[in-house]
Amino acid sequence: MIQKKICMLGTFAVGKTSLVSRFVKSLFSDKYLSSVGVKVDKKVVAVGQEQVNLLLWDIYGEDDFQKIRPSYLRGSAGYVLVVDGTRRETLEKGIILQNKTEELIGKVPFVLVVNKVDLVEKWELDDSAIAALGKRGWPAFKTSAKTGEGVENAFLTLAGKILEPSS
Amino acid sequence: MDESAEKGNGSEGAKSPPAAPDPLGELRRLLFVAEEAQVSRIQERLDDPEIHAEDVSRVLPEAMVLRAAKDDALTQVLQPTVEEAIVTSVRRNPQVLVDALFPVMGPAIRKAISSALASMVESFSETLEHSFSVQGVRWRIEAWRTGKPLAEVILLRTLVYRVEQVFLIHRESGLLLQHVSATAAGVQDADMVSGMLTAIRDFVHDSFGGKEGDSLDTFQVGERSVWIEQGPHATLAAVIRGTAPRELRTVLTEAIELIHLEQADALQKFAGDATPFERSRPILEACLKAQRQQKAERVPGERRRRAVRVLRAALGVLVVGLALWAFFAARRNRRWEAYLGRLASEPGVVVTAEGRSGGKYFVAGLRDPLAADPVAMLDGSGFSRGDVESDWKPYQALTPELIAARARYLLEAPDTVKLAARDGALVATGSAPNRWIEEARSRSRLIVGISRYDDRALTDADSTKLDGFRQRIEGRVILFALGSAELSPAEVIRIREIAADLKQLSRLTTRVGRTARLEVIGRGDSVGTEDVNLGISRRRADRVVAALRPEEIGGVTLAVTGVGSARPLRAEVTEGDRELNRSVSFRVILADDHEKESVRR
Repeated sequence: MIQKKICMLGTFAVGKTSLVSRFVKSLFSDKYLSSVGVKVDKKVVAVGQEQVNLLLWDIYGEDDFQKIRPSYLRGSAGYVLVVDGTRRETLEKGIILQNKTEELIGKVPFVLVVNKVDLVEKWELDDSAIAALGKRGWPAFKTSAKTGEGVENAFLTLAGKILEPSS
Repeated sequence: MDESAEKGNGSEGAKSPPAAPDPLGELRRLLFVAEEAQVSRIQERLDDPEIHAEDVSRVLPEAMVLRAAKDDALTQVLQPTVEEAIVTSVRRNPQVLVDALFPVMGPAIRKAISSALASMVESFSETLEHSFSVQGVRWRIEAWRTGKPLAEVILLRTLVYRVEQVFLIHRESGLLLQHVSATAAGVQDADMVSGMLTAIRDFVHDSFGGKEGDSLDTFQVGERSVWIEQGPHATLAAVIRGTAPRELRTVLTEAIELIHLEQADALQKFAGDATPFERSRPILEACLKAQRQQKAERVPGERRRRAVRVLRAALGVLVVGLALWAFFAARRNRRWEAYLGRLASEPGVVVTAEGRSGGKYFVAGLRDPLAADPVAMLDGSGFSRGDVESDWKPYQALTPELIAARARYLLEAPDTVKLAARDGALVATGSAPNRWIEEARSRSRLIVGISRYDDRALTDADSTKLDGFRQRIEGRVILFALGSAELSPAEVIRIREIAADLKQLSRLTTRVGRTARLEVIGRGDSVGTEDVNLGISRRRADRVVAALRPEEIGGVTLAVTGVGSARPLRAEVTEGDRELNRSVSFRVILADDHEKESVRR
């Protein structure tokens, strides 16, 4: 089985951990996040005939990207950029995060996940902003860690992009 | 070519210009005139080594890459040349290689030294740690008990460990390359554990370690520890239960080195497919297996040794206990025999039954009330009075000792009298007052066990005293001057002494029922006529009697005579003899009733 290291990226309180903890196989408790700063979980997805074992590195959310350690990103085959639909600034910081990450580990596949779609009435992000990102080649997904909406699709798409021979 | 072709043309043209003598050759010439020139140029190049070398140099690197990808023939071919080149280079000028290797050698040596130091410190701290723990104390006791050095005991004990799992982890991504486990548990989710191990190492490195190359090599989780061995592309992590010896570090180092050697290519190209690392399984399993065997070998032997030690200790305690019990039992028996022996030799004591019952000694028998007390005899025998059950019945013993003792008791014999029973007779010796002697004679008939009383060797103490006084009085002589009946002051003092003795004599005779008579005899020397001498001797005697004050001496009858010179105290030869005869002397006569007088005198 193919294994891939995936990083969960996103600023504070965007719901990275909720996404991971509810929809993946978990071995370690969440307390590792605050103590070690990272937690590794597993998500198995099927791409065509192939099973892919995604090892998700969930990094403890911090507003200041400068503090994220390069060692966490090293060896990643792709990443999930999580933003909070109810807070516009998370997208802005997300874009900065994406740039920094690309600087550190080069161009690798990623997906943008706009979380908290269950609170859509409180959203500060409108569809046009997301669509604009889509035009830049950012595959964006609206998800809800609460209902599970869009989560599978996001991971599946990322796995597919990673396995594309040309990527 | 062109030339030869032209020559050919010329010659052929000369020989047979009009007709075509060789049409085929002509055709060939016409057809390949251009190529012929090319071929000759190629020939030229092939023959020219300079041009050839230039051509090869253009393709050599690509050719080497192609060949190296196909097989390792190039390496094999180059190896001796390269080696020789290095040897030659060093021989010629070592500095070149030294300069080239310097940046590599420094860190390599440092790493070797620091890893050697680290394993030494590891074993040191292990020893220290165990020195101050409860277990450490136990081991110290064991070392003391078995006489082994402490270090050896610790070594024996620390060998109890097992490598439970070994992870081979891709260094960069933290992805799991291979995993082996000694137990069924923990096999699942090894991929997540692998990621987490990497994350934690990164975290520690980022937080505490500074330099590149510093990394977390060991960490402890409860009784398990994780030992990490880092290679350039992959990391080996061994999960160990218990305390492993530092030799394990070498095993791990060699394993990661071997994997890098065998699978360098696969490691470099790794992109998530762990299948090629199936090959490394035996190497990882060797890390598990070797350590498990050690443990399996050790435990039963140790158990057996411990069992033998426990058994030996128990036997020791038993033997010592038995020896102590035997010693004390023997001592008690010896003391008991000694006590019985003393009872047997004790007059008036007869043992009729003795023995042990209910852990207590008992003795029963007969005892004369006058015999020694057997219960009191327990004191100093090694037993306390409470240790022995005693039952003594009174009786009268007829042994000589007891007869004598009873006689003494019944006769109330004074200490100056010794009594002994001999052949049915009671023999009294020593001295006793006259009155006791009289009473004993009559009372001895009542004593059981004697038929005769013999007090011939018993002295009458009163008679002895009376004799003493008598001799003292009779030993004194009162002297007078020539022709005088007057007393000198010295003689008066002597008379008073006589008077004092007389008083005591008188008291004693009264007590023992006897009477005493004092004869006072006056004398004169042979000088002068007998009439005169008689007269003066009588006067002298009277004078002494008067000085004795007879009224103060009751109970003693006085008889006064004057014998002149008829019975001189000494035959007169010298003047001294005569002086002695001018004197008064005394004689004491003691009288009892006649019977007694006849018996004693």
